[in-house]
Amino acid sequence: MSSIPVVQPSSKFREAFAKRGGAAAARCYQCAACSSVCELAPAAAPFPRRQVLWAQWGLVDRLAADPGPWLCHQCNDCSLRCPRDVAPGDLMAAVRGMVVECLAFPRAFGRLVANARTTWPLLLLGPLLFWVLLLGATGRLVLPAADPQLGGLEGRFHYQDVVPHALIYAVYVTATAWVAVALWVSGRRYWRLLGAGAARHGSFLANLFPVLGDIATHARFKECGRGVPRRRWGHFLLMWGFVGAAATSGFAILYLYGGTPIFDWLGLGHGYPLPLDHWVKWLGNLSAVLLVLGGTLLYANRLAVGDRLVGATTGSDRFLLYTVIGVVVTGVLTEAFRFVALPMAAAWLVYVLHLGIVLTLFLTLPYSKLAHVVYRTLAMVHERMSGLTTG
Amino acid sequence: MDRVGVILCGGCGIGDAVDLDAVAAAAAAAGAAATLVHPCCCAADGLEAIRAAVAAHALDGIVVAACSERAKRQELASLGFDPAGMWRVALREHCAWSHPAGDEDTRMLAEDLVRMGLARMRGCRPIVPVAAAVSDTVLVVGGGRAGLEAARVAAGLGHPVVLVEKGEALGGRLAAQRSVVPEEPPYDRPHPNPIPGLIAEVTSCSDITVLPSTTIGAITGQPGRFAVRLDGPPATELTVGAIIQATGARPYDAHALGHLGYGASPDVITSEQLEVMLLAGAVVCPSSGAQPGRVLFIQCAGSRDDQHLRYCSSECCATTLRQAHELRAIDPKSEIVIVYRDLRAPGQLEHLFAGVQDMAGAMMARGDVDRVRVDGRLSVELSNSLLGEHAAVEADLVVLAVGMVPTAADGELIRRLHDARHQAEHAESAQARADAGRLAGELSRHQGTEILNLGYRQGPDLPALRYSFPDSHFICFPYETRRTGIYAAGTVRAPMGSAQAAEDGAGAAMKAVQCIEMAKRGEAVHPRAGDCAWPEFFLQRCTQCKRCTEECPFGTLDEDAKGTPELRELRCRRCGICMGSCPERIISFQDYSVQMVADMIKAIEVPEDLEGKPRILALMCENDAVPALDAAAANGATWNPWVRVIPIRCLGSTNVIWIAEALSRGVDGVILIGCKYGDDYQCHFIRGSELASTRLDNVGETLQRLALEPERIKLVELSHDEFDRIPLVLDEFAASLEALGPNPMKGF
Repeated sequence: MSSIPVVQPSSKFREAFAKRGGAAAARCYQCAACSSVCELAPAAAPFPRRQVLWAQWGLVDRLAADPGPWLCHQCNDCSLRCPRDVAPGDLMAAVRGMVVECLAFPRAFGRLVANARTTWPLLLLGPLLFWVLLLGATGRLVLPAADPQLGGLEGRFHYQDVVPHALIYAVYVTATAWVAVALWVSGRRYWRLLGAGAARHGSFLANLFPVLGDIATHARFKECGRGVPRRRWGHFLLMWGFVGAAATSGFAILYLYGGTPIFDWLGLGHGYPLPLDHWVKWLGNLSAVLLVLGGTLLYANRLAVGDRLVGATTGSDRFLLYTVIGVVVTGVLTEAFRFVALPMAAAWLVYVLHLGIVLTLFLTLPYSKLAHVVYRTLAMVHERMSGLTTG
Repeated sequence: MDRVGVILCGGCGIGDAVDLDAVAAAAAAAGAAATLVHPCCCAADGLEAIRAAVAAHALDGIVVAACSERAKRQELASLGFDPAGMWRVALREHCAWSHPAGDEDTRMLAEDLVRMGLARMRGCRPIVPVAAAVSDTVLVVGGGRAGLEAARVAAGLGHPVVLVEKGEALGGRLAAQRSVVPEEPPYDRPHPNPIPGLIAEVTSCSDITVLPSTTIGAITGQPGRFAVRLDGPPATELTVGAIIQATGARPYDAHALGHLGYGASPDVITSEQLEVMLLAGAVVCPSSGAQPGRVLFIQCAGSRDDQHLRYCSSECCATTLRQAHELRAIDPKSEIVIVYRDLRAPGQLEHLFAGVQDMAGAMMARGDVDRVRVDGRLSVELSNSLLGEHAAVEADLVVLAVGMVPTAADGELIRRLHDARHQAEHAESAQARADAGRLAGELSRHQGTEILNLGYRQGPDLPALRYSFPDSHFICFPYETRRTGIYAAGTVRAPMGSAQAAEDGAGAAMKAVQCIEMAKRGEAVHPRAGDCAWPEFFLQRCTQCKRCTEECPFGTLDEDAKGTPELRELRCRRCGICMGSCPERIISFQDYSVQMVADMIKAIEVPEDLEGKPRILALMCENDAVPALDAAAANGATWNPWVRVIPIRCLGSTNVIWIAEALSRGVDGVILIGCKYGDDYQCHFIRGSELASTRLDNVGETLQRLALEPERIKLVELSHDEFDRIPLVLDEFAASLEALGPNPMKGF
């Protein structure tokens, strides 16, 4: 009898879970309307009814080890149909938030970001202060001077004069490596949890590629019961905007190794500053456009579909949103100020702000909603490997 | 009645289907003092024509051959005849609408129906209602919420009330409660206990006499004039008009629930024990005196369980929800777990339920409790949980939400106990004495359980039905019991919560007052409300066989020392079951008797030659089967034209002589259609169709001796709504008779 799970309905879990948006779980009477309307729920392990029950009963381990919350794309059709106003869609989001925090590496960072509602000044000002101190320490707290040598499409001055590229690369390569490590550790924890719950077959990579294809086209969004095109294409543009921005940054790094034939062939041998019509610039600007377009579409969707379908927005959701907006706005302004005859101080300020907020975005990525890049991908691969079928 | 006229209505298509002049001629030939054919009897000129005919021919009774008695009641009531003066033949439903127009068979059917009505009417005698002094006083037994409310309402209706309470104080179980479930908007929090206010109101009312520490010594008599002897300080004798039994319920004995840990750990308690702590304002674990970190409620503790109480007590869920709110108010940090099978919080209780759901630290878990482990921290092991597997929940304090057991005595079983004890001493054979002794042993738990101490032939208390609750068909006859003038209310009647008990008390009080008012006019109560006829016993021919006193479902008849029935008219519900039971046929109502129905059977013209048309007698319950047949006709159904329907009050009033009469006259078969019987009986008179079935078994043997096939007699159970089935039943029976061939008694 020792194998009987002991249910621990703790008030602490209830309260914590409520803060994440799962307050209404207790109201559920298990009619399973939610699981019935969900187009994404695998037939063999439908969600979100079971997850609501586990949340009611405080079975945290089961919630954490379940692929369901990540297979959910939060169309919130279930919340709309729920006769008891349980909002299972929000509950699934709350579970995701809980998983991100609990599996975070290190845990303290996870808590810090999960509590962004109160810790946001630290999260924003910390990286900014770091940059200011770093610049001060390296004696670079100076305003750039206009460079009359530059062509019309190259702007008025070099941002390299504000912050040397080496410094940028040093900081962001380190940050990227850190993000990769944090995501790797969390992802591995999650992958093991998933594996403990179901037998998997086949190779990871062979199953990863179809999943990536799925993600690239956002095919699943189409299946969602409330998969209004705005949601799908908004998220689609946003995702590709981020991918483009990341690629732009990647190519920028490659400049450090410029001069080899292949780079020459790609036209990467060009010296800084790049003119506006250079294809890397095109890529960066296109990404910014995609981000703005995608964001606008999603925002329009929020206005159009009503509260129930939008779902609950937690403090850390808002933090991520403002951070992304901050990155896009300061990024665009940074570029614009190269060409606009404003006091150099303005350009300096915007650039440093941009560097700070980008660092915030980087460092919080494994602990914010953005971690879904890893968790959802893993859950989708697990779904294929463990034979759950999407029904 | 000597001068009976026959009124034939030609409206609603009757005139088109049947040659009414021919029917009128047949009626005249059968002895009608006058006949009247009118195209529309229910219209003003039709009614006027009837009045004129009644006056012109000095008629003392009329047969109205028109529509069903359920149609045009008001119009025909305006003629002013009582039930002994007017009989209605449903020519429209049973003939014109359901059989081919102009057919010979249809005409013969119409003629038979009218002749049968005429025969019946001629047997009627004038009704003289029972007149007797009636007491206005209502006796309320039990001072809980239902009893208090009953007293308050009866007094409010202008009736003196005597409220008898066995205990020292009023209030019943609720008196020891901190609160009750919500009774008014917003329904989301416990409601202040209404008992103190109710007690104050009742004790200060000048029309209500409260007698605490008092029990009932004896009750004799009948509605309107029950003679009551009270044992109390001081002993009292009084006369009351009606009685309300509101003796309540007690909690199920948790000592029987060892598997739930009761008795094994002091920290497993019942909801009553928790209520005591809530009332004191401090909830602690009895073992340690410490505040419990987690309190776990087990719902259906011993309820809906074949080993314990098989029924749902209906209020334990609401009690637990209320206690969860109270517990939370005392200790906001305590965790609450409610383990349930089906949480029943109907209606507005939803708000109370939602409040508990919304409490952080409260959890409702569906599951069956297999056992409660008491080694170490209490651990409640569940199966059939929503997880689909076993699970365990730990707790510091386990509260068993036990169900309720009615505080009612089973009058019939008490009587059987007394009879068995008597037999054990006085029976002739040693075997009979031993059997009676064994039965007495089995029934010994009923010793001393009497509450009402009725001096009735059939036992000292109300008869009980399932689960020991007093037999009461609440849907059809709210608050009625099987003892006329005695009404059950509150948790003694059925498991219920306090608000419903209050409503029950008010409802029963209104029934009691109604009963008293009807007794004043000599009228029967439900279901033949207003019937003033009563059964007369021709006692010179009584053989003291006691069948009537045994079989009356309402305990109407007492017995003298020799076993001769003693009628208490106002207990009578006029079903005629005694009339059906009497082998000497000495029991007759003024408007319903064995002879009258026998005369109706005689009035059926049975073609005498064996090759002629068969005839089938259908004795049908007028409460369910006949309305179903009417509905069938209204829906366009047709059935075998050889069937002759006689509506009877209850199949239980069927006297076997009717069947003998029919068969000896050459009728080919007799079908009895009545209500469903058994535990879920639908009979208005509880046991009528069941008794008829028993009697038919005996008739079957007689038939075989007469070389008649027992298949010629059939009893069918049918409910009011089965109008689509009833024509099929008749046709199938006709087909089966055709297969048997004609009744060989034809022509003798």
